[in-house]
Amino acid sequence: MAEEQVRGTDAQSRIERMEQSGLISRQQADRLRAGLTAGAGEPDPSRYGATRRSMPLIAATAVVVLVFVLYVFFAMPPGGGPEVVQDVSSSLNQPETVGAMNKFLSLSIAIFVLVVVPAIILAASYNSLVNKEEAVLTNWGQVESQFQRRADLIPALVESVTRYLGHERETLTEITARRQPDLDRLAEAVDRLAAGQQQVAEARGEDESLIEDQEALTRLFAGSAAVGKDIEGLLAVVEDYPDLASSDQFLELQAQLEGTENRINVARLRFNQAVGEFNSAMRRIPGNLAAGLGGFRRKAYFKADDGSGEADESLFE
Amino acid sequence: MREFRLPGSAGLLMVLLAACNGGEGPLVRDGAGLFTEQQRQQLEVHHRFLLLDHDIDYRVVTTRGGNDIDLAALEHFEALSAGARSSRGRGLLLLFDGERQEVRLEVGYALEGTFPDAFVAYVEQRQMVPFFVENRISDGILASTELIVERAQRASENASWDDEIWLAGSGGAGASASTRTAPGFTTRPASSTHNPVSASARSPKDVVAAYLDAMRRRDNSPELDIYTPESRSMMREWLITPAQMDQVARTYAGCSREELRYSHSSDSAVIRYPIAQRQCAPWFLIRGDEGWQLDLTMQQKAIRFGRNNAWRFDFSSDHPYGFAFEDWVLDGNGFPIRSRDED
Repeated sequence: MAEEQVRGTDAQSRIERMEQSGLISRQQADRLRAGLTAGAGEPDPSRYGATRRSMPLIAATAVVVLVFVLYVFFAMPPGGGPEVVQDVSSSLNQPETVGAMNKFLSLSIAIFVLVVVPAIILAASYNSLVNKEEAVLTNWGQVESQFQRRADLIPALVESVTRYLGHERETLTEITARRQPDLDRLAEAVDRLAAGQQQVAEARGEDESLIEDQEALTRLFAGSAAVGKDIEGLLAVVEDYPDLASSDQFLELQAQLEGTENRINVARLRFNQAVGEFNSAMRRIPGNLAAGLGGFRRKAYFKADDGSGEADESLFE
Repeated sequence: MREFRLPGSAGLLMVLLAACNGGEGPLVRDGAGLFTEQQRQQLEVHHRFLLLDHDIDYRVVTTRGGNDIDLAALEHFEALSAGARSSRGRGLLLLFDGERQEVRLEVGYALEGTFPDAFVAYVEQRQMVPFFVENRISDGILASTELIVERAQRASENASWDDEIWLAGSGGAGASASTRTAPGFTTRPASSTHNPVSASARSPKDVVAAYLDAMRRRDNSPELDIYTPESRSMMREWLITPAQMDQVARTYAGCSREELRYSHSSDSAVIRYPIAQRQCAPWFLIRGDEGWQLDLTMQQKAIRFGRNNAWRFDFSSDHPYGFAFEDWVLDGNGFPIRSRDED
């Protein structure tokens, strides 16, 4: 977490530096800043209702079991004190009658089978859903964390490229005319990237129940994919500058960005897998009953809008 | 530059392999059939030593025509449980797709801090890929393992290195690279060396300083006048990667208290470092028509490096520089262990 904070502060100062030295416009700087702040941090479970379900089903099950135990204790036919030889005549079945012991056992078994067992199954199902929902939240936390990592790295990429090209423009005046189209391409790429990054940040921050809103998550996926493409676009500008493209510093930055994109992809696949397991459990019996009683809601997949409504590719099948 | 050869014969390799196999299955899975049996065993032994010495479970997988290399590497990582053989969950997996000509080094959770993406990309682009481009896959992997060992050694100096225990697994850390070309790498660059001191006026220490300067600048030209003619011929056949040059510069930056020793005839010299500086191999120099020059040919024959990058003499090679080591005691494997003055 400390490392993330340092990275975030570093990104802020980079943006400020670039703005002050005229490498990026004020609007671009504002957009990059917006990309750093919105939606940052781990997801809050209460945001998705994970804590508002304050164990009503568990409490109800505990009450049922307790009542049943008390019933067994108090309703059992008395056997008398220790000095009395037990009179079992009333407990035993007599011709044409049913003894008290038999009645008690029958009633107990009926209550156990019809009330206690379903309550226990329901509670277990509820707990299983809670665990699966936690897995969804944890995996979403990973996705968010990688988004933040990418947001922190983007200013470094922009600074590295704009500073290099700016330096070329200053020192190699005779080829400025030839480089001008590249500078224009760069400005456009930075524009797109900053705008895309801002949209992603807004999408992450605006929705209180993002991972339960398929439309919002699909929109976020599209925005995130667009940012990935914008990063590639910026890197494409660099390919025309072998000195920069092959430098160790740029290799390092590129590796971090590509690594983050890959981590986002892995986190996304794992999130979708967790969502698939959670949603399936919610639809099965008795999960659907527990979900209804517990107020669980179906989670959205983080994927492109392919219209299938099902989880996309899975790594681990 | 260093060769990737283990001490001893192929028989010893087999014994080592059998000794540390433990019936857990191979660490190297050559699905693409790129390695000879000897290369496969050599990799296997190196990686088992990595597990033994640094508790790093490093798998190698080769395939042909798989899916996206990033996802494929993660799938192999999960399927092979890379990291499971390490008591601290330290897992690495190298996947090379021979058809797509792509490589990926996947890094497990436990090693993300030690081998960040930028380091992995550096290892791939500056060390591994130049070998792969010349179709020397096994050499490229061994050369990169050397950098991994060096990094792990440095990490192990940190007290918390052994305290951290992780679950095996990967979150997608690592880096991928195309092995079709090595960007920013030329195997035979034109010499750009500027020697402030003329060749004839250079002392042996000046020559070594010029060599280390060339390494710092990643000048792998074999035509520098600091090399003997034989060394130049040999270097023309060598592949010297940027990472190897960086490693030489980095290693010798940490070497100190060098000692210059001349032969009786004063036409050859050795610069050596204290025995305790195990990674600082000595330099062999000879005085020719062009002044003092590095005799890398003889260094290459006489000096080997152990698995922790410690140098030793190769007893199977004769060399004329023994005069500089008469006061040292060597162990049976050629590692200097102490000075006779200490007896």
